[in-house]
Amino acid sequence: MSEAGIGGPPHVLLVEDASLVRLYYRGALERAGFVVDEALNGIEGLERVLTATYDLLVVDVNMPKMDGLSFLRALRGREPGVRAIPALMTSTEAGDGDRAAARVAGANFYLVKPVPEGALVAHARALAGRRA
Amino acid sequence: MPLVRRDPPGLPKAETATPAVRSAEELGTALGSERDLRGREALLAALLALADASAATALARHLRSEDAGLRNACIETLQAMPAAALPVLPGLLVDPDSDVRLLATEVARAQPTEVASALLARLLEGETHPNVCGAAVEVLAEAGTAAALPALRAARTRFASEPFLPMAIDMVLARIGAGR
Amino acid sequence: MSDTPSPVTDADFARFCEFLYRRTGILFTPAKRYFVDRRLSERMQATGSRSFAVYLARLRSDASGEVERLINAFTINETYFYREDHQLRCLTASLLPETVSRKAAGSTVRIWSMPCSTGEEPYSVAMWLLENWPEVDRYDIEIVGSDIDTRALTAAEEGLYGERALMRLRPDLVARYFVREETRLGPGWRILDDLRGSVRFTPCNLTDAADMAAHGRFDVVFCRNVLIYFDDASRRIAADHIYDALVPGGFVCLGHTESMSRISPLFRVCRYDDAIVYRRPREGEHV
Repeated sequence: MSEAGIGGPPHVLLVEDASLVRLYYRGALERAGFVVDEALNGIEGLERVLTATYDLLVVDVNMPKMDGLSFLRALRGREPGVRAIPALMTSTEAGDGDRAAARVAGANFYLVKPVPEGALVAHARALAGRRA
Repeated sequence: MPLVRRDPPGLPKAETATPAVRSAEELGTALGSERDLRGREALLAALLALADASAATALARHLRSEDAGLRNACIETLQAMPAAALPVLPGLLVDPDSDVRLLATEVARAQPTEVASALLARLLEGETHPNVCGAAVEVLAEAGTAAALPALRAARTRFASEPFLPMAIDMVLARIGAGR
Repeated sequence: MSDTPSPVTDADFARFCEFLYRRTGILFTPAKRYFVDRRLSERMQATGSRSFAVYLARLRSDASGEVERLINAFTINETYFYREDHQLRCLTASLLPETVSRKAAGSTVRIWSMPCSTGEEPYSVAMWLLENWPEVDRYDIEIVGSDIDTRALTAAEEGLYGERALMRLRPDLVARYFVREETRLGPGWRILDDLRGSVRFTPCNLTDAADMAAHGRFDVVFCRNVLIYFDDASRRIAADHIYDALVPGGFVCLGHTESMSRISPLFRVCRYDDAIVYRRPREGEHV
């Protein structure tokens, strides 16, 4: 998926519009050895995945212009190199329906906010497919 | 020269029929069942053109929608009509549904700095849901004034053992403090 | 007390970029830090803002049009021939081949420069196609330049330019498409009649539905460095109109600091070698 595939650190893209949440995730993931990029909504997320390579996406649900579920649906319908990137969805919504909607849209895992640092890192490592 | 120049084409029929003059309530109801993205945009534009209390009420209703795209499109449209959105904001910020309170904090972002800061500080004072607080703190990172400092400090104490919130509040306290 | 504003910190920079992006759709990465800091400090000084927080409060209230002044400080608001030529490369390398793959030879390809200001962009498109697209003879190519400013349109039809407008053109291109002419302001270059005749200029307001609809549908729309000046409401309306002005599968090119991600959810993001371009989805296609 990326140059990380031949031994470099895994690359993660945060698709999240809340600046403090991005800062929190970035801190946690960088401490765990990830290289972190950011996109502020789904459209920017698509622009990013089309121009760089990522091992993991961490995706919020509520975002302007293109929400996280629409982003994942669009992503999973794109070209082969892009559509298979694992996605960890993090959301304030904790209902069974919300989890199911995320799975249908293409999320590989779903964490309810506020996400403890340890849980974020553990799931990010598992999904990115290697120890960081 | 192979490039051609033509006379203007005749006025074609607009492809997406502009919604005929309809009440905000009708537009809001149509919004709930419109699946086509372009159709949704047209309804939002019609509500934005009204930009009055009835339009704001019609949009605010969809903050409860199951459709994340619709919820967020309505938030953005409310942000684009700050004066009309102001009267519905206090009610949304005390809504019994924490998801609605959370989304309402984003609507408050478009209010003038003093107004946004005061509304969110008041919310923070009594809010028990960490995610609603997190969303309010996020907006205060942009719009917070010194008047919000006591509410932020109190929330910092209340949520000291939560993930994320203490760090987020410290960040905002530092920002507002630095601006004084 | 010194009048010099306090320096821009890392946190200020991040906060400023976030605000600018949310408000205008202009996106700066940390690589642009120096560029951003300098202009930001200038604006803080010009407005007598002693700290970043004071300046941000001013921006949020948009006191005396500060947002527009700031955008002007960040965008080189200058038009010249072959500006952002990576998009012109993209046009002939990717967009037009894709467009005509669905058209019969001899059919019409319509390109809209909107807004076109004093005409450099639509004339650049015309020249670029003549120079770089071997298929140019197989299709009727219609280029329209529109603007809300009728004085700019008069100048566009006049087709007389100063030296600066031609700075990016190779001498052989200047020789091929311009004739030198003395003007009151010094030497000028006038676009050849043939090229001038290949572009039609019309008045048009991006936010006026009837104005926009009167122009029909296009295969490619260039809409660069204008939506950043609009507020959210106008940006949304303009984007809806651009969508309607495109054939399904038609492309819209924005300026290089602009992203559709703050403008509209209606378009499909397309990545080509030379540029990111947005496309109106084809019938039944997902964004």
